[in-house]
Amino acid sequence: MKMKKWIEVSLAIGFIIGALYGLMAAAYGLSGLLEGLLKDKFGVSGGAGFANLLVLMLGCVMVIATALTLAERKWSAMMQDRIGPNRATIDIGPLKGRALGGVPHIVTDVLKLLTKEDFQPATASKFLFNLGPILAFAPVFALFAIVPVGPTLEVAGQKVGLYVANPDFGLLYMLGIASLAVYGTSLAGWASNNKFALLGGVRASSQMISYEVALGLSLVGMMIAFGTVQLAGPTGMSEMQGHYLWKATVGGLDVGIPAWGFLLQPVGFILFFAAAFAETKRAPFDVPEGESEIIGYFVEYSGMKFGLFMIAEFVEVVVLSGVLTAIFFGGWTLPFGNEALASVGFFQDHPWVLGALFATIFWVKVILLCYLQLAIRWTFPRFRYDQIQTLGWKILLPMGLVNLFVTGALILWDPTLRSLAIAGGLEIALIAAVTLVPRGGAKDEHAEDHGHGGHGAHGATDAAAPALAAHH
Amino acid sequence: MAHDEYDPTPSNDELEAHLQTRNMVVNLGPSHPAMHGTVRMKVELDGETIVKADTEIGFLHRGFQKSCENVTWTQCIPYTDRLNYVSALMNNFGFLSAVEKLIGLEIPERAKFIRVIGAELHRIADHLTATGALGLELGAFAAFLYGIEARELIQDRVTELTGARLTTNYGRVGGLNRDLPPGWGDKVLRTLTKVEELCGEVSALLTHNRIFTDRCRGTGVITATDALDFGFTGPCLRACGVNLDLRKQKPYWAYDQLKFEVAMGKNGDNYDRYLIRVKEIAESISLIRQALDKMPEGPVIVDDRRIALPPKDEVYGTIEGVMAHFKLVMEGIQVPAGEVYDATEAANGELGWYLRSDGSGRPYKVHVRAPGFHILSGVGKMIEGRMLADLIPTFDTINMIGGEVEQ
Repeated sequence: MKMKKWIEVSLAIGFIIGALYGLMAAAYGLSGLLEGLLKDKFGVSGGAGFANLLVLMLGCVMVIATALTLAERKWSAMMQDRIGPNRATIDIGPLKGRALGGVPHIVTDVLKLLTKEDFQPATASKFLFNLGPILAFAPVFALFAIVPVGPTLEVAGQKVGLYVANPDFGLLYMLGIASLAVYGTSLAGWASNNKFALLGGVRASSQMISYEVALGLSLVGMMIAFGTVQLAGPTGMSEMQGHYLWKATVGGLDVGIPAWGFLLQPVGFILFFAAAFAETKRAPFDVPEGESEIIGYFVEYSGMKFGLFMIAEFVEVVVLSGVLTAIFFGGWTLPFGNEALASVGFFQDHPWVLGALFATIFWVKVILLCYLQLAIRWTFPRFRYDQIQTLGWKILLPMGLVNLFVTGALILWDPTLRSLAIAGGLEIALIAAVTLVPRGGAKDEHAEDHGHGGHGAHGATDAAAPALAAHH
Repeated sequence: MAHDEYDPTPSNDELEAHLQTRNMVVNLGPSHPAMHGTVRMKVELDGETIVKADTEIGFLHRGFQKSCENVTWTQCIPYTDRLNYVSALMNNFGFLSAVEKLIGLEIPERAKFIRVIGAELHRIADHLTATGALGLELGAFAAFLYGIEARELIQDRVTELTGARLTTNYGRVGGLNRDLPPGWGDKVLRTLTKVEELCGEVSALLTHNRIFTDRCRGTGVITATDALDFGFTGPCLRACGVNLDLRKQKPYWAYDQLKFEVAMGKNGDNYDRYLIRVKEIAESISLIRQALDKMPEGPVIVDDRRIALPPKDEVYGTIEGVMAHFKLVMEGIQVPAGEVYDATEAANGELGWYLRSDGSGRPYKVHVRAPGFHILSGVGKMIEGRMLADLIPTFDTINMIGGEVEQ
């Protein structure tokens, strides 16, 4: 029985990775063909970008986000010792009576949302009420445009990369578009003409606006480390992280410490993760929703309009994972063996085979980060509204500034980034030590030092976000 | 202002027409995710700060007291199930204790121990629900589910004992209607080990969680004086540092033969109330273990045909049996005329019963002093001037149960 389960799980994982690989290979093929077609027929470039828009954004991001609605329920069930969704079945032939891991629930969810009455409060502001979900969804979705998924290659005679666009202003586009999402939620809250929704809208707007400061600041360290704000391309952040800081070759395999963002900028990573998590408005930062307090800014929405808010959250999770991968986890590169792989003769003859492999690695990283986000979401309680503001302004912002100055000084002193990586290693060790060292005499800590203050030493618990919440 | 004479040069601030703002009134409940037990809170908000909070009850009123006047004493027991429906056994036994005090009846030793075991099992269930719900409404759903898993194990044992999860209807005047099922004690011991494990999980998720402690420490504070003025009892009062536990102060049943400590807090905030519940779960587990160990053999109900129903073979086999059964069922137990107040320490505090008998087989008056009623009256005081979000943990840690508050 146990063995059977293992085989099933391995097969499922294998299927997902295989499907991703196939999709990525198709993405390269389609990009090359479309780029060539448009260049030949109309003399314009941009065909690759359009193909990537279709495959990466509509294909990968949307499908992963949709699958996350199920994954969230299954994974949370796993964490909470439950079975999770297993009721919907497709009663055809051999599938009859099988839960199929809950996959049919995706279909039933969508059908339910689509067929529900599209209720609108009589006193709602009609235009803004309809605009809300669109404005909440679109910017989040558009964010993914600058994230490079795979290396730039020669396919069908055309140079194509797996990204929709690679503007010079790279990350600034991301920060700009991300700040548009606030309109959706605050408009939804206001236009519903409901007190609870209004409270949610106000909470959402204040939270998202405050966290944009920390969000931008946490990335400046990476920008100066690599001297660029671009993500894609050979000089972009994503590809630069594939270079080794220290390198050795063991039996033809290149190993070493790569310049991955979270090694260079652990504090920047934590700050960005916390701030971006707050931007996604998911627990522990879900005060705008606050289901047990104010039900949320979307309390008056039903049917697919509510569905848009919900799927926007999941798209945000995927996009955030994608951005994190591209900026802090080496993009599509492996931690070792990149050069060994690239020098294999077969791969040099068929570069798209290797390109699709790298792109698959990118998506695997994205899925792992999605899991991390869900684990955090299902483990922690919700902040209070003023505690979120305190965290943003009094902890993340000063930490971001200090991190920026330290990073700047280290890069000026040593442009090879090696001392930055050493400092980063020390920071990681420090964070790990604070997290892992058990609290001395914590058994009856309550009796001795109750009340506020005196808790600085216990600042970090077991994940990034609460570690930063030590605001006393 | 100290100077109220005319000022010919007003400051710019005074000349400006300020934006007129009004406080917003929101209705939390009676149908609201945080207001379990259909309570309505009329909350006046200045931004996110609560200016005034009005608690309104009555949406779950079922006429408990009046219903009791129309049935025999024994028939009141099912009504008591519906008071605090999370820990029905404690209501059953509390009511029975009061009736027995009115009669002046001493119950068999074994029945006393079984009452302790049942009451403590349901105290654990009640506290698990309260701490779990606290986690749930603060957004930590996992903690809630672990707590509920443990609670369900206990409810399974209660089902084996009484035949029902919630509406237990267990115990009769003069003792109990049936003895423990065979092998039940061992099963309980195994269950308690599992419950301890699950409580560890809940505690690991919450007790030292930074966000949780920030949400609970220093919120929903009430001083010991205020708490006593409002009539707080139980964990909510002990969280303020007042050592009041009827199990110690006025030992009833078998509590004087068992060793346990009274969990105490000192700050009267949500965190202390949470911690007290966690500690009381551990104490209750130890109490049950001791009680199962020390429990003597013997009858579980008094051998008195005016109080206890005769065994079934006597009812079907002898004329005396039939008569006793008929009189007890049709006329009820003849409780001597008089009045009594008796209280037991229920999960949320002093569960008091004021009973009055006119000598007939039915109560003349049954009044319940539900612990939640007095505690709920203090909520306004505890959260005024605090943030809206503080209302949630406060409402959870006082653990008001609609059934007993609104009767």
